[in-house]
Amino acid sequence: MQSLFAWLLLLATAVAASDYHEQLTLRPLPLSSLLASFDFRSNTSFSDYESQNFRLFPRSLAQILQHAGTRELHLRFTLGRWDAENWGARPWDGTKEGGTGVEMWALVDAGSDEEADQKWLTLTNTLSGLFCASLNFIDETRTIRPVKSFQPEGHHTEAALAHSRLLHGVLPHEVVCTENLTPFLKMLPCKGKAGIASLLDGHKLFDASFQSMAIDVRPICAEGQECVLEIEETIDMVLDINRSKRPKGNPIPRPVKADELVCDQSKPYHSEDTCFPVDHLASPDWQLDQVFGRPMKGTCPLADATVPSVCIQVPDKRHVFTSEGSVQHKGADGQSRCYTMDENNDFTLFLARPDNPGEGLEVVEPETPLLYAERSLTGYGQEKGGVQAILTNPGNEDVEFVYLESLPWFMRIYLHTLATHISPNTTTAVDFSTPSSDIIKEIYYRPALDRVRGTQLELLLKIPAKHTVFLTYDVEKTILRYTEYPPDANRGFDVAASVITTLSPRVMNLRTTSLLLYLPTPDFSMPYNVIIFTSTAIALAFGGLYNIIVRRFVGADEGEQSPLKAKLAKLKEMIAAKLGKKSAAPEEKTAVEAL
Amino acid sequence: MPETMTLRGKAGIYAGAALLRLLLFVAFPSLPDLLTSRVEISTPVTSFKRLQEGLFLYNHNVSPYDGGVFHQAPLLLPLFSLLPDVRALPIFTALLYILVDILSAEALMRIAASGEAVQSRLFTSPRRIRQASSLVVVACYLFNPLSIASCLGRTTSVFTNCATLWAVAKAIDGSPFNAMVALSFASYLSMYPLLLLPPTILLAYDHQLLKGRTQAAPTFAVKNVAIVLVVLGMLLGMSWALDSQSWEFLGRTYGIQLTLNDLNPNVGLWWYFFIEMFDSFRSFFLAVFWLHLSSYVGGLSIRIRTQPLVVIVLLLGIFSIFKPYPSIADTSLFLGTLPLYRHVFPLMRYSFVAAAVLAYATFLGPAFFHLWIYAGSGNANFFYAITLVWSLGQSLLVSDLTFATLRDEWEVERPEMVGKEVKQI
Repeated sequence: MQSLFAWLLLLATAVAASDYHEQLTLRPLPLSSLLASFDFRSNTSFSDYESQNFRLFPRSLAQILQHAGTRELHLRFTLGRWDAENWGARPWDGTKEGGTGVEMWALVDAGSDEEADQKWLTLTNTLSGLFCASLNFIDETRTIRPVKSFQPEGHHTEAALAHSRLLHGVLPHEVVCTENLTPFLKMLPCKGKAGIASLLDGHKLFDASFQSMAIDVRPICAEGQECVLEIEETIDMVLDINRSKRPKGNPIPRPVKADELVCDQSKPYHSEDTCFPVDHLASPDWQLDQVFGRPMKGTCPLADATVPSVCIQVPDKRHVFTSEGSVQHKGADGQSRCYTMDENNDFTLFLARPDNPGEGLEVVEPETPLLYAERSLTGYGQEKGGVQAILTNPGNEDVEFVYLESLPWFMRIYLHTLATHISPNTTTAVDFSTPSSDIIKEIYYRPALDRVRGTQLELLLKIPAKHTVFLTYDVEKTILRYTEYPPDANRGFDVAASVITTLSPRVMNLRTTSLLLYLPTPDFSMPYNVIIFTSTAIALAFGGLYNIIVRRFVGADEGEQSPLKAKLAKLKEMIAAKLGKKSAAPEEKTAVEAL
Repeated sequence: MPETMTLRGKAGIYAGAALLRLLLFVAFPSLPDLLTSRVEISTPVTSFKRLQEGLFLYNHNVSPYDGGVFHQAPLLLPLFSLLPDVRALPIFTALLYILVDILSAEALMRIAASGEAVQSRLFTSPRRIRQASSLVVVACYLFNPLSIASCLGRTTSVFTNCATLWAVAKAIDGSPFNAMVALSFASYLSMYPLLLLPPTILLAYDHQLLKGRTQAAPTFAVKNVAIVLVVLGMLLGMSWALDSQSWEFLGRTYGIQLTLNDLNPNVGLWWYFFIEMFDSFRSFFLAVFWLHLSSYVGGLSIRIRTQPLVVIVLLLGIFSIFKPYPSIADTSLFLGTLPLYRHVFPLMRYSFVAAAVLAYATFLGPAFFHLWIYAGSGNANFFYAITLVWSLGQSLLVSDLTFATLRDEWEVERPEMVGKEVKQI
């Protein structure tokens, strides 16, 4: 009994001394989507970190970071596309999001580029094991050293910065799945057994329209205190509520019964037998354990109890019901409320349907992002093409930003064809009068080298308020050696998302979707045939010429006959002789032939 | 009177060819870019689009050789940066290319007019009265659709072709120094013309003797090789200074021809072979292919010692088949020099087959490339098959010309055999 008490006391002091927060923010989005942002943050002092004394900081990751001399690490696993037109600005201003697939960047402690490459290799290989992802495929052809785009985020001394290199790698082909979630959860103090992390289920997370898992490790130095190494793990997911609400045992969607169908009566074609269903337009009701597939199992005992675990951002008019024992704290802006709850009981939350659907104010109005960006491949055929990025500034302020492309080497870009056109938002007419130099302020370009490194293109651009810029350049698709194609060669190759970092009026991030590049393919079944055919063609040419050069000319009737011809003639004679015995008439004929 | 007639005819042909090209440049402004993007015309080492990219990087102080796109000789960069921007004023580039084509034609005219093809120092053809007039030779070159396409496609092989033709013309002219300088320029631009050095030295040597300047053959050869080495050294040194004192350009310009890093389709035999090659045998077959390409030089120079010019013509044909990045510009050079040997055409056995095969491949090549790359209804084997046919057709033409030349020589010894069946034993 006494030992249990002592243990509890120890636990209590540990919790008090710890610095671990976790919070789930739920925000219903238009078109019956729900954004869930999980945020887990803990830190450790540098003295503990260096003496390998880990309490809340994951030991496995810390040892890798120490081994690879990494000062700062950012890792992203992303799937799906953020629909900015409907959902508005990105959560965390896009800073906790990566391009499709896996993206990572790190500040490694290195005096030279070679040393940095070596440490980067160690880091990617060990992280690959830790996260069950193909991070080891981030080789030098997929690694760039950003100049303008990515900057160290933590607090570093000048000396440390001078002795470190920032490397960035991206793996757009990687499919993020459950095997990446498990190690992610294991790094949390409560391992996904309690607290908000208990809501994370691979079936729901990877079924989301958009999801992004992020890990950021960076040193933070507060005034007058010891520097700490902070690890922040975030998961953002956008669930389609109707899809998530389907029962687990019976997930096949069934049509709504005719008498339950709600029709939009304002449509001109609305009548007895035609209906435009309004159901998916209205914000539906949902319950936490229903959309996540399981209830939240209390709170994590290691977490800071003063930070409310769950927050929901809906207008005050909406009714929210929660489990017993939870306390609601309303936000001052009238658009958010947070809940603290009992440590040991399951928690769930129910958002009721709006009272008067269709009157607006059902969800918090999404914030307009600083920029909209989309990028696509132009042209057709597998020989050449182009890339077009459409960047729109919907706001009233000029936006200055860095546009970063990290392209694979087999996509050859022609920088001399880089062109920009600008057009005011209100019209579609393209204004050719503004020269490119007014839009592109600076170019940083590191061309690709075949099989050695990819292209790195960073552009500093400025778009005036309410304008759209079309950025285009030509690319050529390279044909590769047949061993360099993946098994699914005709699927195409993934090209990493371009990264946009705005500099003014404020810093935020944004990524386009990745591209699928079709390369010309050889016939994979042909190596022997091609080797044989080409060799035959060469042998024919060489042999023919050699024959002509080395042989002597004679008249057709001169010189000795070839042995084959002599034998043939002999054979002919024999046959003629045999035939001649049988009848005289054919003999005459052969005699004529012989002449 | 005939003198002025010739002059007028020559000027007429030049003016006609220049006007035709200019008309095509001006009347169809998108045609040059279309032709530039064709794989049959532009190869990674001669493409005008890649030249523009290199030029753009060069003008923006980025080393064009620190990338995988530009593989052409460094001295082309300052030359082209003197011209106005091609996108704003394409006419100046067009004029330069037309001028280079006319210069090549002038060299060809001199080669044809010298009569070297029918009467060299050691051999006089019995069929010399049937020699093609130099005007016909030049017209065949200038109005060959392949030449016109490579001029409009603005490939940089036209510079190599021009330098090669001038090297031959100057060797016949009896000025070996100029010939060697021209040959060095050609080799500097494309590397492979270096293989033409032995027959060119022989040709220049013959004409030295014809001019009455006696000199020991080894001394003459050593002197000329030294000239080539010095000029090449100077050109490479200038390139070194131009490429911010780095030798990186060597690997990017000549190295790529040796290692075939860029496997872009072209009309040659190398690209598909090395796409499909097993990695462990790649270096071996690269060595074999280069050895094969250079093996013809010695054999032909020795066997047809009496006519060095025909050796050069045959080698040009062989290069246009077997070099790493051939294009139709190389074929157009071979086909341009071919009419010099019009007098032996009647001795050729397969001229109809060769012509038919070449025509067949010319028409089906672009079609099959379209089927593979754009329509998607064919695969890479379609275009590969047509390049095989194209190469076989050309090699048939080359060996047939060799046969005809050798028979022409043989008929000097055996005049009674003219017009009779022969065989080789």
